[in-house]
Amino acid sequence: MDPVITAKHLSKTYGKKALAFRALKDINLTIYPGESVAIVGKSGSGKSTLMHLLALLDRPTEGQILIDGSNASQLRSRQLNRLRNRRFGFVFQQFFMNANDTVLDNVLLPLKIAGLSRFKRKAKALDALKVVDLENKAKSKANDLSGGQKQRVCIARAIVNDPEVIFADEPTGNLDSATGDKITDLLFKLNHKHGVTLIIVTHDEDLAKLCNRIIRLSDGKIISDQTVRKNLKVSASTRREKEAARVKKANRG
Amino acid sequence: MKLTDQIITANHNLFRNKTRTFLTILAVFIGSFTIILSNAVNVGVNDFIDKQVESIGGDDFVMVFPAAMSDQITAITTSGSKITEYNPTTGSALTASITDEDLTKLQNVDGVKLLEIYHILTPEWVTSSKTDKLYTISVEYFPSDNVNMDVLVGKMPDNKSDRFEILLNEDYVSALGFKDNESAVGADITIGIKQTAACYTRPNDCVAKVTATVTGVQAPSVLSMDGDLYINSALDQELYSLSIAGIPNELVSQNNFVAVGNIEPDKISQIREEFREVGYELMTIDDEIGLIRTFFDVILIVFNIFGAIALLAASIGIINTLFMSVQERTREIGLMKAMGLSNGKIFFAFSLEAILLGFWGSVIGIAMSMLVGYIGNDIAHQAFLSDFPTFQLVVFDPVRMGIITLIIMFIAFLAGTLPARRAAHQNPIDALRYE
Repeated sequence: MDPVITAKHLSKTYGKKALAFRALKDINLTIYPGESVAIVGKSGSGKSTLMHLLALLDRPTEGQILIDGSNASQLRSRQLNRLRNRRFGFVFQQFFMNANDTVLDNVLLPLKIAGLSRFKRKAKALDALKVVDLENKAKSKANDLSGGQKQRVCIARAIVNDPEVIFADEPTGNLDSATGDKITDLLFKLNHKHGVTLIIVTHDEDLAKLCNRIIRLSDGKIISDQTVRKNLKVSASTRREKEAARVKKANRG
Repeated sequence: MKLTDQIITANHNLFRNKTRTFLTILAVFIGSFTIILSNAVNVGVNDFIDKQVESIGGDDFVMVFPAAMSDQITAITTSGSKITEYNPTTGSALTASITDEDLTKLQNVDGVKLLEIYHILTPEWVTSSKTDKLYTISVEYFPSDNVNMDVLVGKMPDNKSDRFEILLNEDYVSALGFKDNESAVGADITIGIKQTAACYTRPNDCVAKVTATVTGVQAPSVLSMDGDLYINSALDQELYSLSIAGIPNELVSQNNFVAVGNIEPDKISQIREEFREVGYELMTIDDEIGLIRTFFDVILIVFNIFGAIALLAASIGIINTLFMSVQERTREIGLMKAMGLSNGKIFFAFSLEAILLGFWGSVIGIAMSMLVGYIGNDIAHQAFLSDFPTFQLVVFDPVRMGIITLIIMFIAFLAGTLPARRAAHQNPIDALRYE
């Protein structure tokens, strides 16, 4: 199986000269389709920065990111925008919703950006709301929802364009544990049922343990990259292949 | 993102903060209202002047006078006056008269169809068989072929006719005892004219009577507010010959200050040149009206400057409003960028909001100035414009309104570029981190 995102010698430096701060140092990482990856670390460890780089929201100072094997830094901004729009979905801790718009309008935003017709985007947005079990709230104002409902709407927004990868930045950070669990279930259901690759940034160990792979960051370096098998629904053989490939690659690099 | 979606979204975003948007639109409105209303008044006045110019006798009519008088005339029309040194050969400027010899010369200039001495006519009175009373009257004859007045009923006096013909205005219709405009047309009226020479011998019986036929009734005109009634060539000749009967020719020709004529309008500039060589100036209706136009144009410019200043202030309001909006929506911008909306589209989205602010400001400006304009028009017609039913104080020319709206939208766009640039260049990460 070909990797979906590969990071090679990734570094990110903020500021210049004396004030320079190296947030990430020589990160090498390969993510395969269908994986659920937790990026764990204390605040300031560079986990958000890594996610932003992987999601192509920011450019690395050094190194490169390969999407489907091709260098993302060579993409034109148009292609980059298209890529993010069609293949990535985002879930944020602070939701980022337009509070005065309806739930439906919030969910169909990526489709509106993609330029889909009014009719199509409404149909797809309703489908996405069905997945998060909020279709009856389509006409409500986003502001009138509870925190958990808001995050479900954000998940609906993230999946509305049928993405291959969902990036989630502390998706349960603002929620109590019961609602947080619901959100977690939802995300992993997408991973298991639809094979969506999950990349979750979190400091919550419980959430991280649910993922089949945990990458630990400290001071901008990967200190461990463990793959756990328990949640993996991908067949064992594929899994083994993938593992072998990674070992091979690591040996080569 | 599709264009229609962008426009709908921009308009929707605009009204998220209703008060702020309303106030910004109000600022634009003040500027657009001033400009639109003053333009409408200017178009109205110019339209009316155009109509009046036609009503007087069109573009083929000229007045010709000796160049020596030209200074005097400009001095009178521009209400300034000059002292010139007396010259015994030319005499007093005002008495410089047109000689028969010169008149022949001028008549032979290419493009001149007709040129004749202007008859100063001062009829004593006018009356009709329907009334015992005599009314004062002043008459005017225009040697023009394309007269097109605000004739309400009937037609213009015919210069080619041998009959004595006159055009009444509405005030005389009732004074002379006619039931209505229609019944006046075709009726005869009598004009009395003093025979100056006869008055020396028969002081009490020196007014000759001429009967003329009414050919039509005219609406009062702003350019003949003194109530001049238009007469045809035959009546002009008759009244003139009666008034000078018995006066020696030398005395009469001393009063030949001005000639009136009928020319081919396309050749006006050549004719003007050739007349100057002979020592004569000419004046068209447009020359006379030009002064009035200039006056109104200056007023328009002044109001447009006021409007422009208001728009400048409004532009700063637009910049301010949009900067606040960019600030408030930083996260939203970041989110949309993360979702793949390009910098160009973000720029366009905010520019559109600016353009829409300009658009709504102008639309409300147009609506309000129409309302105020038409109400003002009605009030004016009940008051000082009651004599001029055909005068529209405001005329809203759709093309001009459209151009003004576009200009205002463009100004708003320019104002919007500053905040729109800031929004477009925002880094999605910084935007999403923004608290």
